[in-house]
Amino acid sequence: MIRHEFKVGERLIECSAERKGEIVQVEVDGRIFQVRSLGDNQYAVTTGDATLKAAAVTVDGKTYVEINSVLIELTEPGEDVATSVGGDHDTEPDKVYAPMPGKVVKLLVVVGDVVEPNQPAVIVEAMKMENPVMVRAKGVVRSVNFAVGDQVDTDSPIIELDLDKE
Amino acid sequence: MPPALFSKVLIANRSEIAVRVIHACRTLGIKSVAVYSEADRDSKHTRLADESVGIGPPPPRESYLVIDKIIAAARETGCQAIHPGYGFLAENADFAEGCQKEGLTFIGPTPESMRLMGNKIASRVKMAKAGVPLIPGMTASADDLKSFQQAAEKTGFPVMVKAAAGGGGKGMRTVEKESQLEDAIEAARREALNAFGDDTIYLEKLISNPRHIEFQILADNHGHCVHLFERECSIQRRHQKIIEETPSTALDDDLRRKMGETAVNVARAAGYTNAGTVEFLLDSNGKFYFLEMNTRIQVEHPITEMVTGVDLVIEQFRIAAGEKLSPHLNRLTQRGHAIECRLYAEDGDNNFMPATGKLHYYREPAGPGIRVDSGVTTGTELTIDYDPIMSKLIVHAPDRNSAITKMTNALIEYHILGVRTSKRFMIEVLNHPEFIAGKTYTNFIERHMTAYKADSERLESSAAAVATAVALQASKSMSVMNSDIQSDIPTPWQTLGAWQIGDAIVDQA
Repeated sequence: MIRHEFKVGERLIECSAERKGEIVQVEVDGRIFQVRSLGDNQYAVTTGDATLKAAAVTVDGKTYVEINSVLIELTEPGEDVATSVGGDHDTEPDKVYAPMPGKVVKLLVVVGDVVEPNQPAVIVEAMKMENPVMVRAKGVVRSVNFAVGDQVDTDSPIIELDLDKE
Repeated sequence: MPPALFSKVLIANRSEIAVRVIHACRTLGIKSVAVYSEADRDSKHTRLADESVGIGPPPPRESYLVIDKIIAAARETGCQAIHPGYGFLAENADFAEGCQKEGLTFIGPTPESMRLMGNKIASRVKMAKAGVPLIPGMTASADDLKSFQQAAEKTGFPVMVKAAAGGGGKGMRTVEKESQLEDAIEAARREALNAFGDDTIYLEKLISNPRHIEFQILADNHGHCVHLFERECSIQRRHQKIIEETPSTALDDDLRRKMGETAVNVARAAGYTNAGTVEFLLDSNGKFYFLEMNTRIQVEHPITEMVTGVDLVIEQFRIAAGEKLSPHLNRLTQRGHAIECRLYAEDGDNNFMPATGKLHYYREPAGPGIRVDSGVTTGTELTIDYDPIMSKLIVHAPDRNSAITKMTNALIEYHILGVRTSKRFMIEVLNHPEFIAGKTYTNFIERHMTAYKADSERLESSAAAVATAVALQASKSMSVMNSDIQSDIPTPWQTLGAWQIGDAIVDQA
């Protein structure tokens, strides 16, 4: 019996597996899955009487699984979960980040403005398209860290708020 | 074998369209020259061409958009002609002119017709004179808000503010009511200036619930012009086409004939030569309006090729070399049904933001009636420098329902690991009852797909099971390797010690 842990987004998944001839039997969250390798990075995974096909590859500690045409990325727990769109800032509702590297083309708020959730705060241009970025919480703008024309990446907050104390 | 139309051609583009043009060169016995930025040094199109020339750092404005570098590359490799592909310099009249001045044949229309049709206002005026039905709106730009307000009052809201130098869905804003007009004008100007270097804008009535139908045109330098039927391009997101098909379920033979004739009239009025596309909007009353003309080969050209059997890129070469349109182009019919899905590197779970990353695993589907035009392969690194389109998947089948089934299965078999794609999203669109019923309007995605979210949670456990099996396989092959080295029973190779066959080796130097 071999144990393995994976992280998908914020969720930690514990798996215990054993080899049964050609099949690898994996228990995940109390469910039993039979996984068979089909060659060329393809797998068949059966649970109950339903079988799904998947393609999977592991690179640098990250496993990409395409199952039912959905791509799921699994990492080793403790590894940084970097999504393809530059970092997961869901834990910082008081900051506004660019969703991808680009250029600030318009600032829609100034220091002192009262803002509501989903209010557009800044427009970032990338790949010749303008993307309005919304505030995610109620509060007052405490600082605007970039000016129109500045290049921004996904790791520096463009706008910071003082959240309303609920 | 007949002599080649040109002996050597430079392709001023990258990725899947560069590959496409190189394939046409191969068929025609023409030597191909690719250009590549530093990001494309190991790209498929660079590898595939007969020769390649480095043209600078990744950003297009330092590489693929630098006219002098492209022309220099063509001269230093001894090319006779340049094919611009689509995007980049394909609709840049200065580039076409620059080629002409250097004695290089530009495989596309003349600079004059490019300038005319590239200016949406000027083309509207010209088409009005030619009796082509137009979308009601301004036929001149203006700088003052009042002119826009008056125009909007005349056509009635809602209206669309559009860039005169625009296209590809950029520099456009929908305006529902008068109070939004000023902001929309400002935003459109800004986007237009950024994307096209020209912030001239105008205003048109917004046609409600339109279908986007375009006609493929081929015209030679001897006055012949034909259309190769329509493409239905109504599945769009943020004005970017995602799924295209032909024939369109909205056209009967009569409407098709009328629109086709109008498309040919548009091309003639524009003095157009080579391959081009005339775009129309079709409203819910069966009335069609000229939208714009694209003076280039288009992304979705493969679906026309599948139903007509014509190789459009080869026809482009022929026309550019001065040949007359072949008579059989007058007798074409549409056979069967073709659908194209564009594979974008984008996160369907995150508002379809472009995704970057490396393609760790890449397998194209194959089979009868399945075609993939791709610029990527395993190991390709996708960056923010370029459009996130990776490839186009095209299927051809005897009828529409078979084509939908074939495309769905082809998408399922198309495995791309390493970046998010809109694959699952497109499967959902194709199998939506409204799509199957042929009710494809440009607001399809807004109307039917906003609640879409890939059901990944349910699949996470299955994915974890697979990942565990992968890990087990990896450790199994590691332990097999290790056991070769540390076997319990020593092998003769380990116990014999140093030995040799025959006499001592004497240095024969």
